[in-house]
Amino acid sequence: MEFFDCNAFFGLPARRPVAPVATAEHLLAEMDRAGVDRALVWHIAQHDVAPQTGNAMLAEAIAGHERLLGCWTVLPNQGHEFPPPAAWFDQMKAAHVVALRAFPDSHRFLLNEVSMGSLLIEIVERRIPLFLSVKRGIAWQAIYDLLASFPTLTCVICDHGCWGEDRMFRPLLERYPNVHVDTAQYLLDGGIESLVGDYGGGRLLFGSGFPESYFGGMMMALKHAQIPKEARVAVAYGNLERLIEEAQL
Amino acid sequence: MNGEMVERSDLGREFWAHGRAVSCPIYDMHGHMGPYHSIYFPRGDTAEMIGTMDEAGVRLLVFSHHAALNSPDLANRPSVEAVRRFPERLRAYCVVNPNYPEQLARDLEAFEALFPDVFIGFKFLSDYHQIALTDARYRPAWAWAEARGLPVLAHTWGGSRYDGEEVVREVAERYPNVKLLLGHSCHGAWDAAVQLARDFSNIYLELTAVFDDRGVIEKFVGEAGSERMLFGTDLPWFDPHHAIGVLLNADITDEDRHNICHRNAEKLLAPIVPALTGGV
Repeated sequence: MEFFDCNAFFGLPARRPVAPVATAEHLLAEMDRAGVDRALVWHIAQHDVAPQTGNAMLAEAIAGHERLLGCWTVLPNQGHEFPPPAAWFDQMKAAHVVALRAFPDSHRFLLNEVSMGSLLIEIVERRIPLFLSVKRGIAWQAIYDLLASFPTLTCVICDHGCWGEDRMFRPLLERYPNVHVDTAQYLLDGGIESLVGDYGGGRLLFGSGFPESYFGGMMMALKHAQIPKEARVAVAYGNLERLIEEAQL
Repeated sequence: MNGEMVERSDLGREFWAHGRAVSCPIYDMHGHMGPYHSIYFPRGDTAEMIGTMDEAGVRLLVFSHHAALNSPDLANRPSVEAVRRFPERLRAYCVVNPNYPEQLARDLEAFEALFPDVFIGFKFLSDYHQIALTDARYRPAWAWAEARGLPVLAHTWGGSRYDGEEVVREVAERYPNVKLLLGHSCHGAWDAAVQLARDFSNIYLELTAVFDDRGVIEKFVGEAGSERMLFGTDLPWFDPHHAIGVLLNADITDEDRHNICHRNAEKLLAPIVPALTGGV
């Protein structure tokens, strides 16, 4: 069974975790141990240090590793901290970066039309997947507000928590066709089956939350979920492949 | 591709292929049941939970019904009814809510009448009931468990004034005969949990919600020993297949996995319910 993880990072956090994974090479070794074929990854410095610093560290670290694709962090650009969008998207493509993350709470901005309207319009038009981590940097109300303004945004709500967030994300899945959720921390017994049963196999992506979570937990849950084979394949890797293919960089 | 967690472990191959392992039954020592106000459960009723247990090879679940935890009106009655429906697969903890000390005498009477066919120990939920494990209102239940050497599953959370590591240490010293199961293993205070297990031979590290913190399984095995760890999922909260996958992925041995999944629980429960533990 093939797995393409949409939600893994490496690098040393400022506060030491129990089991840090410093490098892309260590990440790949752990993927081999678990049986994860490919991963869309980011560097913790994108959050803990600064997007500019972390994005560069990520690009350098994944260069030459075909099993790894990158996910950069985005900011509002009134301070001209980034190149203009077209040039920046070219840099993404050259660095094998195919998706974006935003941490508005941690990085002290509002992810909305006022702060980032022109860039968000480009992200929507280019169908670049935007990853929003509930665990790290954005609240549900901000996600609801963002999607109300950009209803066709392609996004993946990730790390939504193990205490049961279905009442938060299911209304978004019903209202907005390009909203997806990942499996990291979706430990809910029967959750995968229920979600696939209600919304089909196209809205859920395998994400591990590695290195804070084990790869094997959600791999095993997905392997033995009582869902059709086509849905299992879609969740395990097909949906992420599709999102990446649809992105226009 | 199959990873080393599957290829290099007999249990890995069996669990990965079938979702359960005949050679490694699971005793889930921390479950609940029924609807709960702040979460949607796709499989929250008793029969659905038994279905999940079948899929993952869970032989026995020891649980406390959500109503028993949060409705003094209903108290332990829903737990009793569920065990009577599935006596080969379920046992319950008798929930004590010290906010209603006048009910405690009735709880203990019921416990005596229903031990061990329904109840095998007590469940304390101090953080939620906001009364510390050391509070005098818990003492009759502690004394009851101490006199009989019974299991007590206490919700424990790192730093909590109600059931954090310092509070746990105090009750562990006070009740050495109780089999004290640290629900969630003083979550987040991992070093303290290890130290408690080292200092008190009657303490067990129960793993509900620990499975989602990478590295802690290896830390506990390495520093406290797998003989002191118990499988738990909060079912119907967490999918037991997730927990199994974590145990396969963690850098531990199949012997450790056997200890965590069934051997330790079998030893704990054998004096109480020998028929349900394969005569261990």
